[in-house]
Amino acid sequence: MKPAKFGYARPGTFDEALALLDEHGAGAKILAGGQSLVPMMNMRLARPDVLVDVNGLEGLDEIRADEILSIGALARQAAVVGSAEAGEAAPLLVDSLRYVGHPATRNRGTFGGMVAHADPAAEAPAVLLALGGEVVARSFGGTRTIDVDDLFRSYFTTSLAENELLVEIRLRIVANRRHAFLEVARRHGDFALVGLAATAETDGDGNCTAARLVFFGVGSTPVRARAAEELIVGRPLGYEPVVAEAARVAAGELAPAGDVHATGEYRREVAEVLARRALERLGEERAA
Amino acid sequence: MREPALNPQRKYVGMSVLRTEDPRFLVGRATYTDDVHIPGMLHAAFLRSPHAHANVVRMDTVAAQALPGVAAIFTQDDLEDRIAPLTTTLDRPDVKAVTRPAIESKRAFFVGQPLALVVASSRYVAEDAAEAIDVDWEVLEPVLDPELALRPDAPVLRAELGDNSYAHIEFERGDVAQAFAGAAHVFSKRFHHGRSSAAPLEARGLVADFDALTGELTVWASSQFPHFYRTVLSGALGIPESQIRVIADAVGGGFGQKAAIYDEDLVVPAASMLLGRPVKWIEDRYENLAASSHAKDVICEVEIAVDADGTFRAFRGHYLNVGGAYPPYPITSLLDPLAAASLLPSIYKIDAVGYTVDDPLTNRCPAGAYRGVGWTPGHSARETLIDDIARELDLDPVELRLQNLIPDEPFESLTGMKYDGGSYEASLRKTMEMMGYEELRRRQARLREDGRYIGIGFSPWIEPTAWGSKMARANGFAFDYYDAASVTVEPDGSLLVTNGSQNHGQGHQTTLAQLAADVVGVAFESVRVVQNDTARAAYGAGTGASRSAVIAGGAIIRAGREVREHLLGLASEAMEVGKDDLELSDGVVRVKGSPQRSMTVKAIAGDAYFGGRSQPAHVAEGLSATRAYDPPETYSNGACAVVAEVDPATGEYTLDRVYICEDCGTILNPMVVDGQLHGGIAQGIGLALLEGISYDDQGQLLSASLMDYLYPSTTEVPPIETAHIETPSPLTEGGIKGMGESGTLAGEAAVLNAIADALAPFGKPPITKTPIGPSEIRDLIRGSVLSPRGTAS
Amino acid sequence: MTSVTFDPQLVRLVVNGEERTGVAEPRLLLVDFIRHELELTGTHVGCEQGMCGACTIVLNGAVVRSCILFAVQAEGAHVETIESVANGSRLHPIQQVFREKHGLQCGFCTPGFILTTRALLAEHPDPSDQEIREYLAGNICRCTGYVNIVDSVREAAARLRAS
Repeated sequence: MKPAKFGYARPGTFDEALALLDEHGAGAKILAGGQSLVPMMNMRLARPDVLVDVNGLEGLDEIRADEILSIGALARQAAVVGSAEAGEAAPLLVDSLRYVGHPATRNRGTFGGMVAHADPAAEAPAVLLALGGEVVARSFGGTRTIDVDDLFRSYFTTSLAENELLVEIRLRIVANRRHAFLEVARRHGDFALVGLAATAETDGDGNCTAARLVFFGVGSTPVRARAAEELIVGRPLGYEPVVAEAARVAAGELAPAGDVHATGEYRREVAEVLARRALERLGEERAA
Repeated sequence: MREPALNPQRKYVGMSVLRTEDPRFLVGRATYTDDVHIPGMLHAAFLRSPHAHANVVRMDTVAAQALPGVAAIFTQDDLEDRIAPLTTTLDRPDVKAVTRPAIESKRAFFVGQPLALVVASSRYVAEDAAEAIDVDWEVLEPVLDPELALRPDAPVLRAELGDNSYAHIEFERGDVAQAFAGAAHVFSKRFHHGRSSAAPLEARGLVADFDALTGELTVWASSQFPHFYRTVLSGALGIPESQIRVIADAVGGGFGQKAAIYDEDLVVPAASMLLGRPVKWIEDRYENLAASSHAKDVICEVEIAVDADGTFRAFRGHYLNVGGAYPPYPITSLLDPLAAASLLPSIYKIDAVGYTVDDPLTNRCPAGAYRGVGWTPGHSARETLIDDIARELDLDPVELRLQNLIPDEPFESLTGMKYDGGSYEASLRKTMEMMGYEELRRRQARLREDGRYIGIGFSPWIEPTAWGSKMARANGFAFDYYDAASVTVEPDGSLLVTNGSQNHGQGHQTTLAQLAADVVGVAFESVRVVQNDTARAAYGAGTGASRSAVIAGGAIIRAGREVREHLLGLASEAMEVGKDDLELSDGVVRVKGSPQRSMTVKAIAGDAYFGGRSQPAHVAEGLSATRAYDPPETYSNGACAVVAEVDPATGEYTLDRVYICEDCGTILNPMVVDGQLHGGIAQGIGLALLEGISYDDQGQLLSASLMDYLYPSTTEVPPIETAHIETPSPLTEGGIKGMGESGTLAGEAAVLNAIADALAPFGKPPITKTPIGPSEIRDLIRGSVLSPRGTAS
Repeated sequence: MTSVTFDPQLVRLVVNGEERTGVAEPRLLLVDFIRHELELTGTHVGCEQGMCGACTIVLNGAVVRSCILFAVQAEGAHVETIESVANGSRLHPIQQVFREKHGLQCGFCTPGFILTTRALLAEHPDPSDQEIREYLAGNICRCTGYVNIVDSVREAAARLRAS
């Protein structure tokens, strides 16, 4: 299908972009990578009055790692995958992007776009929660940061306001943090039926000091299995009885729905399997 | 065995000649339908039904017409006088007739049904206008369950039929009841093959250009049968066939979906006639998934009566089609259930067979032809049941089949199909050898002890090919076909071959040139094959149903043989040597034993056209021949096997490798045959594991985009190893058999059997539907009581 | 204040090394602009969803899906389509190998595969079969079953390395 008519604007500066968002409110949509938005427009499911093309804005695509890993919202997914800095600071992030779409979509799709789109079956939101950090959003009202744990509200809904532009994603860098990323999809590159992004920090003796177990494809947002996380903190990472119990508890924290591709029961029971495998892998992994 | 008609010095048939048609496709210069641009062309879009079943109480096009750029909006009332209705039926008493106008604007019978045609300055504007058409609906309860649709109290979709049953067919041969009553075991399965779509990468489309001045209609169409489409247009629009030209130049895949006549195919040309402008309609992917024919949605209830030692005694089947809102024209929706039923015996020796076929209408997109047609679901139902039986009786599934095979010699099945001989055992054994079967079974046992589950699935098949009159009848369809080919020697000695098949990837431009070159005795490079255009090519029923190599090939053999005889006759006179003392190859006629005495085809042709040493009487016969060929029944066969691994915890699977040994008689081009096998198997993999058209309980289409209708990609199709046996048909010209559908007929069952074999330790769950993905595989495991170690889970 | 345009506008870009100008309203998809405004019909439309790869082009050096880009976004861009790959009538080695290995049947997906293969081999001159399959998984072919396509890419990689 061809898209419905819209007005097109290509702001050259940040302020111009914000002014457009302010002026057109809910009728405006941001065009960044467009890999999720334009397909919806081509089904006439998305019908913005005005498309604000932010691809011309400068300085929003930098990737920099010092105390935190900073990724500009307009950094292309391909650039993140290819960034040595990102790979060292957050290997989980780069690992997960292998599962996102295909080279042609990663060349256009932006990291910020994936985050703002907030598809609960997508990898990026879950990875953000697994790494921890915050995002930076700007509007005419000013700049604010939002903790990633407060970012994802519901299906395709973040706590970003209509007139806000996501500008930067800032992710925690932790020395010796371990990670595991697992997903089940029907084909390579498809959205997950169910997936898990997991990180764990340990002390010198291999005991877990912090953990984040984040499932995706299991609800209206990515879900942190906090009860399971609490179970493994303070215990040796990868210790079998704990692994089994934590996996069971993690699955119990989920109430996934079914669709044409998989039942809710499937998603929950495989979540347990992924949890077990992730925890075993975390127990084995040499810290990065 | 009949003597093959090919030149004994044949050089090209059997060789993997690279395709001469490739360059234009590689550089992006092929002309597909949407590449056609005619000055003044307008663009069409359709208003399509959002409801599965509804009456149109009021349709107001005023606002839509007023949009800038809209040329016209046509509904049923505007077109009824312009287009004669089509009647879809078969020449048998157990099948009804459905007569429909070219577009139905007053009642919607499925989501996506075209209701009105908008013609505008661009597709974009046409879609805006279609959206602006104001419709008042009376939404009706959809009829979706095929069993409920057949009940006497069901709402009737098409009043003229009296009920929703389009056909009810029964057949029995041998004493079925006695065979089942007396058998040691009766095994049965209810197998529901999922609804699928051929979904070619290029969707449908056409550009119609009616010239009022000359009364000529030209239609570029993404079609598999341009001549037949022309014939239908002539009848429907009242234009003589000689004034219609249909061009299907480059077509981006068809797989049967483009071998039907759809509403759009009639109304768009009519719109061009009414507007006096060319009109282009290009189907988008939503339209393709919603309104281009679906396929293979058949509920197969199969029973097999077996002796204690595994000998098959009888097969029985009930095939309930989940049809659509009406049967597609011309082949009807019976192509799924009736084809499944008539091939029930396959390659097995049995004493009795019985089947019933039901084909109810439901509020879905009509269901028609897709590669392998109903043979696919019927084959998968039977072959997965045979594997279930092997597991139950603790027999090796390949040995069980070998024990029950028909002999290789020509054989008439109990359903009346006359197989012309094959290599049933040899192909099965070859497949076993290719995979190292014995060793693989031992490896499977070792891996199970390590908690890894691989599976091996076999699927030996027989494929009815060369769909001409007799093959159609053998499958229950009464249609006569007389496809023709012409062979002409041009004045410069080059060969022009035209035929009525339609090349959309099968390599005809090359393979048929190979054949013609061998038959006539000229160099391959001097042969040009023309098809895909009714103004330039001899009449034929197009390409599909694995028919072109046999039928176009057979017609070329006959016409080529004639031309070859003419050439030899002319040379004989010119050289003053007896015809029997001459041989013709590589474009040169030579005296046997004295090769220095020769005459080129070029010289012979020059004489024939412009005078020379040949007698005028013979010259007047011309160097051209057009012959038709309607072949006897012919069948190819083979065996396909798949090795897979399943992760029982997640239901994920990996297909490790596919092995296929096929026998299509005389092979024209092995490279092309392999390509057809690969592509067919990929579709079989898709059907087994990924592809499912689904509707919700209100008849809303859930799989409306490629995010839900999943094509297999490079990571879902494993390496495929092929082997070939050539058992030439004793009956067809050249011993050629068709084979294009084999991979899709048999590949799915091999995949399903591999998965079931992998899951055998988990309570031997039978596979009862397609597609099966990780979630369904987990359902199969969860549903079993035992874990692999025999304890309840 | 940035203007919001609703009307068709001129789009100027470099296509296959040549400066081209066309007219596009904002919603005109880049693939439609290339095919019908610029009359380069080698790039094909399979889905308008970015799911099949038939519309693959190279935009500013990177393979992208032209069916989910708007023409107006390509203002000032460098675009390469399939028509730029061969050198007149001399096929590029990748095209030549696809022919030799029978890596195409109906040809509709072929331009997308050729461009994506060229990008793959520029990034990974010696890819494993698994890397080939993963890189190309976003390009759908309905005819070949991919066996010969993977063979073609492997052979093309070898030939390009050797040259």
